[in-house]
Amino acid sequence: MGAGGLFAVAAGYEGWRLLGKRYPPTPYDDLLYQLPDREAARELGRAFLSQHSSFTLPYAASALRKRIGSNPLAAVLASEIAAGDLVETGHWLLPETLAGLCALAAKI
Amino acid sequence: MQRQDREQANSGKVLHCDCFLAGHWATANEAYGPLDETRLTFLDARQIPDGTELAPDLAIVGGGPAGITLALALANAPMKMLLLESGGMDFDAATQALYAGQESGVSYIPLDATRLRYLGGGTNHWGGWSRPLDEIDFEKRDWLPFSGWPFSRQELEPYLLRAQGLIEAGPFLYDKLAARELPGALLPLGEGGVHTSFFQFSQWRGNTEHLPTAFGHRYAEDLKRIPNLQLILHANVTALRPAQDVRWIDHLDVATLSGRRFTVKPRHIVLACGGIENARLLLASNDLVAAGIGNQNDLVGRFFADHAIPRDTATLVTFGGEIAGFYKATKDAQGAHFRATLSPTENFRRQRQLLGALITVENRVTLDAVGQAAVTTTAQALGADAGDAHAYSLGVGLELAPDPERRLTLSTARDALGMPRLNIKMTISDADFARYREVLFELGRQLLQAKSGMLRIDRHTRDEWLQAMDWGNHHLGTTRMHDDPKQGVVDTNAQVHGLANLFVAGSSIFPTYSASNPTLNLVALTLRLADHLKGIFR
Repeated sequence: MGAGGLFAVAAGYEGWRLLGKRYPPTPYDDLLYQLPDREAARELGRAFLSQHSSFTLPYAASALRKRIGSNPLAAVLASEIAAGDLVETGHWLLPETLAGLCALAAKI
Repeated sequence: MQRQDREQANSGKVLHCDCFLAGHWATANEAYGPLDETRLTFLDARQIPDGTELAPDLAIVGGGPAGITLALALANAPMKMLLLESGGMDFDAATQALYAGQESGVSYIPLDATRLRYLGGGTNHWGGWSRPLDEIDFEKRDWLPFSGWPFSRQELEPYLLRAQGLIEAGPFLYDKLAARELPGALLPLGEGGVHTSFFQFSQWRGNTEHLPTAFGHRYAEDLKRIPNLQLILHANVTALRPAQDVRWIDHLDVATLSGRRFTVKPRHIVLACGGIENARLLLASNDLVAAGIGNQNDLVGRFFADHAIPRDTATLVTFGGEIAGFYKATKDAQGAHFRATLSPTENFRRQRQLLGALITVENRVTLDAVGQAAVTTTAQALGADAGDAHAYSLGVGLELAPDPERRLTLSTARDALGMPRLNIKMTISDADFARYREVLFELGRQLLQAKSGMLRIDRHTRDEWLQAMDWGNHHLGTTRMHDDPKQGVVDTNAQVHGLANLFVAGSSIFPTYSASNPTLNLVALTLRLADHLKGIFR
């Protein structure tokens, strides 16, 4: 991720931090800020974790960062949807990255 | 029969179905010639003296949609027809009990509950759902053993149009409705393998309750007025008796529950007793050939199928409000009484090696906490507004893969006429569920792609599928069609292999089943058979 990407992520993160509900800081806030309703995401994430016991934090977060890169989340999800990269989360069909973010929220 | 219809019939102004299809209505006099008052009744087999021998040119065994269609189509053909119907005009418990049998394997509807044994047959309890077979349904597919019809959908097309008139389902539009003005919007779906397609519904013309056409009552007066037809009620064909060389059916044994017995010695015979009973009669006619008539290659009774109808298979959420009403219930547009369904496209089925599935939107459901979280989180992430999200349960009608072990065999138990009863072994494979799951996955993907909604799959294990299982009462495949006698009971003309004068009409001849309800299609196939028989009798 280049300097410009970091700036964009940081700006988004800061923007959320100013406007949204406040949560205690975590090492994964650069990912979690993309979930405006973290409680809802946690609920969904718990369902995901109950079916995917192999989800481990540092590795999963690293994989999510790599997958998202500097791209808007919506674009990443659109690409996954087009490719059929969906996973059942509480039996709901979700793009993999979104499911991963929800699982991350539930794991914290 | 409704009073209005009866009055119309008595006035001589009975509407002739074939002429309806030509765009105008013919009176019965125009269709059938001057009225013969003495023939305006059906015969009752219970009044026929013991030992009588009747000798028509054509015997039609069974007065369901296939038998009645055949009789109507052959009206005024240069031959005499006899139609033998086991029941009367209405339900009778003793006659119905002749259907009882034994079920094994996967739970299935009792054999005396899944059919009706009186004039009109299954159309006395059908829901009127109609869809034509798709082109792919006729194709030999290398990935689907036992697939392939001996002709294409194109050959059946003219007969489908005529059948549409007989079942009174309005203009032949079906999926063309998508391009027409409809009372609501199609569900937005991203590009992919699932689309909106359409059922149309039979509506008994003149019936004030808007019921589907019950062929027996609807066409009774037409049948009475056909000059070359005699219809006998309460007449049970208990055996086909072949000639010694077993290349020809010499005569039929007929019996009544009151104890009368007589014979019918026709030049040609068409079995039209339904997808289960056609096979039973062939198997039970085993005095000269132990395996039964037409069963030299052990195919009669095999490949039985019905449409699996599991309930609550998935939950579909629409982000932007209610789904159009025509997905949930029947509506009227363009002269058709219709309802939308979600189904895999033919191309998608070819690419992914899938069978037919017709998904219906059923009941509004309330989402649990996880469901609400799923909708909130997904809509936000996609940038969609889910403020007016609605959730619905999805049902489906599923095509099963042909399975020779899903079959009917004779029981040692006998019915009140002395005919052996049937055992039915029902099967459904995990692959049948897996194929449907793939369709649901694609539907879920396309909803996300369009940002119009999302999907939850609600059945996963075999037990969960089977707990939700219902069946369509569609009896298919037991005398399947194939030009090779080692692969089929009947040939492309529905003639039983090896028998010069025996034909089969109805859904028992389907080699594969589609997901489409069978009535429209079996009526079309029967009209095709009628044209073939006209050639024989010309």
